[in-house]
Amino acid sequence: MLEIRNLTKVYDDGTVALKNVSFGVPDGEFLVVIGLSGSGKSTLLRCINRLIDPTEGEILWDGVDLAQLKGEELRMTRRKIGMIFQHFNLVKRSQVLTNVLSGRLGYTSTRRSLVGRFSKEDIDKAWVALKRLGIEDQALKRADELSGGQQQRVGVARALMQEPSMILADEPVASLDPVLAHSILQYLEMLNQEDKMTIICSLHYLDLVQRYSTRVIGLRDGEIVYEGSRADIQAMSDEEFKDIYGEEAERVGSGLEGALKVDEGGAA
Amino acid sequence: MNDKMNLNHKAENIRKPSWVPVPLAALFSLIIPGLGQIFARSIRRGILLFFSYATILGLLVWRFILAAPRDEGFADIVKKGWHLDPFLIIITILFILLHLWIVYDAYLLAKHRDRTPLSVFFVILVVFFALGWQIGQIDLVNMVTQADEALPALSRIAWPWIKAIEYDEDEIRAVANIEVPCPEDHDPPAANEVGNDPVIVTDLTCGILKEQDGTLGTILRLEGHNFIPGVDVNIMWADPINNEFRQRQGGEYVILIPDENGYFEFDIEMPYRLLPPSANEPTYIWELFALQIAAVGDAHLSQDFILVVEKMIETIFIGMMATFFGVIFALPVSFFAARNLMSASPVTLVIYYLVRGVLNIIRSIEPIIWAISAVIVVGLGPFAGILALVFHSIAALGKLYSEAIESIDPGPIEAIHATGANWVQTVIYAVIPQIIPPFVSFTIYRWDINVRMSTIIGLVGGGGIGFLLVQFIRILDYRSAGMCVWFIAITVAILDYVSAEIRARFV
Ligand SMILES: Nc1ncnc2c1ncn2[C@@H]1O[C@H](COP(=O)(O)OP(=O)(O)OP(=O)(O)O)[C@@H](O)[C@H]1O
Ligand SMILES: [Mg+2]
Repeated sequence: MLEIRNLTKVYDDGTVALKNVSFGVPDGEFLVVIGLSGSGKSTLLRCINRLIDPTEGEILWDGVDLAQLKGEELRMTRRKIGMIFQHFNLVKRSQVLTNVLSGRLGYTSTRRSLVGRFSKEDIDKAWVALKRLGIEDQALKRADELSGGQQQRVGVARALMQEPSMILADEPVASLDPVLAHSILQYLEMLNQEDKMTIICSLHYLDLVQRYSTRVIGLRDGEIVYEGSRADIQAMSDEEFKDIYGEEAERVGSGLEGALKVDEGGAA
Repeated sequence: MNDKMNLNHKAENIRKPSWVPVPLAALFSLIIPGLGQIFARSIRRGILLFFSYATILGLLVWRFILAAPRDEGFADIVKKGWHLDPFLIIITILFILLHLWIVYDAYLLAKHRDRTPLSVFFVILVVFFALGWQIGQIDLVNMVTQADEALPALSRIAWPWIKAIEYDEDEIRAVANIEVPCPEDHDPPAANEVGNDPVIVTDLTCGILKEQDGTLGTILRLEGHNFIPGVDVNIMWADPINNEFRQRQGGEYVILIPDENGYFEFDIEMPYRLLPPSANEPTYIWELFALQIAAVGDAHLSQDFILVVEKMIETIFIGMMATFFGVIFALPVSFFAARNLMSASPVTLVIYYLVRGVLNIIRSIEPIIWAISAVIVVGLGPFAGILALVFHSIAALGKLYSEAIESIDPGPIEAIHATGANWVQTVIYAVIPQIIPPFVSFTIYRWDINVRMSTIIGLVGGGGIGFLLVQFIRILDYRSAGMCVWFIAITVAILDYVSAEIRARFV
């Protein structure tokens, strides 16, 4: 159970990115964060794994306040939180396998890292993860030789290597086309349902939100302006969505179901 | 600001009319080129034309004075200048044409305010081109007619390999003793016996020398046996105090060529030679000898060739050591010159600007100047060359490295950090993979440049093959110089290929 209490983030330049944000996320939830560009979605996600230090407030995860963690404790906690990025953030010139393995760094001693080695179990794990995401034949390529969709799957595999209990995904599909967007989100859904991982994901498209989320919060100017259950979202109309979201709101588009099925068939 | 629009000649953009009547504008420009344009309201054009005209005028005056430095008075200087350098006539004509063209331009401009004639700038360009031709002393005729004189030197440079091989030489020396003058109280020396070795035999073994007044010396019948067939034999003398000199006959040195049996014969007149005043013995033994220099044994690489190879190796290592030390120093420096690392606080930002500034200054000083300074400090030799290149390499690599650091993508660093990796692990897995390829690439590139440059540095005493090349050129040994040139070219080509290959692998 993750509980955010009165979270506030003021950047050095005075920008107030989050204002007194509070909400809870039960384990196993697929929480989608929506909101306009600049509403504070990335800031919120980065506060949870402390890539950004919150200015005020508590981030209670199973009773531990992440906001107070330092040093080793923080590292140990970060291992349990996977993160997926809009621009994949792979080390482009390294091998796919190395990129995936780097998800194990939190479990690897510095001495081992200095010589660039990973344990046999870790390497086996990496192959399992690659297989699970259907990119084992890309393992020995350089990361930047892969297509966008494949790169994001490497990103998911890297997060998977951490054996996390929670995955933060900051607009994981914003730089992908709709078919690939569905396929990546299906992997996240799989992790959510099969591996019981909590997913916190920011998204832009209403139909993706409706299709994958179990709960939604909406941010505007750093404040929560909407909270809804799965049922609420299913019932939501484009107009209501636009209300929270502003004019930028859009659907991925219709007519994709067919393409999607082909993709699913291919992946299976 | 409106220039861009004016070029478009849009109807709505017609400029305001001239301040003065059209003929007056032309007249003004006749007196002071550019003034007419200014009065026609094209002020910047007028100023531009005036300064172009003034510059050209200044250059022209300079060239005339340079051509006729001893003359005074305008007419004399011009006449002498035209006479000595007919090209100045062309420039003078062009210059007058330019003056008139500016007048014409003022006229056009004042009359048609909606148009911007460009032809005058073309004329200016032509005048500058003509001046450049004259100042550069370009002489195509000379170049073509003199080309064949350079041919012997060039052909030696182009194909120097005759000098790469040499043979051991053996000196065959056969001596016959001649007593001067013929003794009265004892027998003259015995004649040589003919055996299997090279030997010379004379019919007489004593005689008198030619006198200064032209009295003939004794004619000796000279026979040579067992010499190497077909190879020149020099006939020489050694006088009693062992000064050697060559036999001349009929004004020419006596050079004999043995026949296929190694035999030659010749009648020689004993030469004229002063004896020192201290000579007071009644007779002296003179040595008549035949000298044949012959190549023996197998061909082997010449001294010069070996020297060139040695210096080439030295050059490559000068480049390598310079790169090595350059990298060692540039690596830490580059972190201080990377903006993204140094923009955290005002203090670090000041350091950044300082380091950047110093690097830029060092880099803007040519390696050849560093080399000259280094030679003064540590003397001629490879170390001076290495020092010179190290300085330049630090500056150049420091800049390139720091730019590579600046272009690091922060995304992967954040991502690795988020997995729970510690600082060291983040550097190893997210920072180093990003900077190694550009670093390797720049380093190889630098090595390539340093080897090329070390040949140039050698010219001013920085060791290596450049130093050797200059020496060979100074003693007009074009063949050995040619070998240097060839080795430099081959090395540079190989290096070029290798460095391109390595860089292709890494980037
Ligand atoms: N490092 C920073 N320094 C100062 N202000 C920042 C910084 N990062 C973000 N901000 C500001 O904080 C606010 C929230 O930004 P954030 O990136 O969290 O928004 P977002 O919802 O993720 O937007 P997007 O959809 O464009 O990614 C914005 O006003 C942004 O300009
Ligand atoms: Mg964002």
